[in-house]
Amino acid sequence: MSRRRKERKQSGVALNLAAMLDMAFQLLAFFIFTFKPSPVEGQISLRLPPPQAVKAKATESVKAGSNENNPKEAGVETLVISVSATSGGRIQSLALGEGTVANVPQLERQLQTVLADADLKFEQVLIQVSPRLQYFELMSVIDACTKQKLPSGQKLSKLSFVELPEGDGG
Amino acid sequence: MSAPTGHGADPDLTPMLDMVFQLVTFFMLVINFKSASLDQTLKLPVAGSARPVDSGGKDKLLILNITTGGKLSLYGRSIDVESYIEGEAQVSRLTAKREGKSIEPGGDLPEIVVVRADKTTPFSMVNKVITSCQKVGYRNFAMRAMNKEEGQ
Repeated sequence: MSRRRKERKQSGVALNLAAMLDMAFQLLAFFIFTFKPSPVEGQISLRLPPPQAVKAKATESVKAGSNENNPKEAGVETLVISVSATSGGRIQSLALGEGTVANVPQLERQLQTVLADADLKFEQVLIQVSPRLQYFELMSVIDACTKQKLPSGQKLSKLSFVELPEGDGG
Repeated sequence: MSAPTGHGADPDLTPMLDMVFQLVTFFMLVINFKSASLDQTLKLPVAGSARPVDSGGKDKLLILNITTGGKLSLYGRSIDVESYIEGEAQVSRLTAKREGKSIEPGGDLPEIVVVRADKTTPFSMVNKVITSCQKVGYRNFAMRAMNKEEGQ
């Protein structure tokens, strides 16, 4: 018995690694060809309240012409931004409340001033948008809004959208 | 010059095999099957305040790829917006019921709707999708965007 054991130990097993290497190379080739690193995407988190009927008091500061599913929350002070579009879907004009704003950076500065004012107590922003406006232009307006902080120190995340009737401002 | 002797060379393949297995392991770890649900043909808009969010898989997501024509794109297929969203909402309610949390019809659904719309999509198309989601009870939305222009 002991002699047999000794014999086994002495005769080394020669593994043929070539087959395993072939398989490993095939796996490697598969992963290399299917590897496609996707770009890192960011996101803007929003809480969009459900559509509600227009309340008489809430429409005071809203420009005429908004449609029926105005999602303004009762009892919450709402700041209205209106964005009209050119026929190509670019921003034609911007308005904050009743005042006209030249461009998005100016809108951002005005929002900063208005939302920082503790007396005004705005908590949500309603964006009235022309249906033709391209998504990237809308995102530039959303971006300007979500950068703002409320007097409480919280970031502004309560946004809602209303589609302006076709042909309004465009 | 002496002619080749005919003795076969017997290289030690072990280090090469080690290296190949290490490479295979690397690619296995970095492969991301979740990205298959993202339509990479869409050109996302750029927003400076968009931040990458990694919830560690805790949040349930409903990813909606919206093409320029306002269609939903799912794994390369174009699908109807309303029926898909209604179906997903129904699945969400059934899942909640199985977990012991009953959600009334029209009640708030826990999923975050991830909106991935092409940057040239008209607002009316995006709004149609958002409104459909709101109707069935989705409240939390995440608008996907890039931090900077591609290639910068």
